[in-house]
Amino acid sequence: MKLKFISVFILAGILMLNIVFTQKMVHQYFYENYVNTLIFMGLNIVLFPIALIVYKRDRKKGGERA
Amino acid sequence: MDKNNQIPFDEDNYTHNINRNNERKLDRRGFMKTLVGAAGVFAVSSLPWGAVAAKELLGLKNKEYPHQKIADLDAVGIGEAVEFAFPGEHDSALLIRLGEKKFVAYQNACTHLRCPVFWVKDQNEMVCPCHHGKFDVETGAPTAGPPRRPLPEIEVEVNDGAIFAVRVKRYEA
Repeated sequence: MKLKFISVFILAGILMLNIVFTQKMVHQYFYENYVNTLIFMGLNIVLFPIALIVYKRDRKKGGERA
Repeated sequence: MDKNNQIPFDEDNYTHNINRNNERKLDRRGFMKTLVGAAGVFAVSSLPWGAVAAKELLGLKNKEYPHQKIADLDAVGIGEAVEFAFPGEHDSALLIRLGEKKFVAYQNACTHLRCPVFWVKDQNEMVCPCHHGKFDVETGAPTAGPPRRPLPEIEVEVNDGAIFAVRVKRYEA
């Protein structure tokens, strides 16, 4: 039970970070700190492969569904 | 066989006649798949922001527009305001004469929801009528109401008895 849901929590955390970074990115854009906008865009993009890795790892390890 | 000829047809099975196990069930893995998809959507949708930011960084900085005449010097009294458009014809802007030689100009789309901001002489403030946002006339900084960012300032120049808009200043925030 505990270990089974670890990936879910990680992914939920990633989604949270996605939201935070998106918010920051938009704000930094309007504050005209364009470098910061680019940094947050990069972070947002990097989160996607991380999420994918977490998912793949879970599938490989878990085997059984549900 | 002759089930089909009966009226009424006694098997009410038009909408759920496909029998798949757990078809509607969202299990843990399905949920995780959704989360990964959401991360992908976030990643893709942040691309345009990065693109416009990069474009902005790459050379639109303090872009020069052709100088544009706003009004004749005599036509604007002290404490009066003139509306004009700069740099594009839809970027409405406001010139305010504060003193004999002191002019300020701002793009007057409110930084809250882009309502036009007006100069209210009695209050010595620029006011957005939509949600009572107020801006300081000297700096364009928001002083009251919902707006949080200053109005973009336009640099003006007085030449040959006329007032010209020169460029849009970048503000530090």
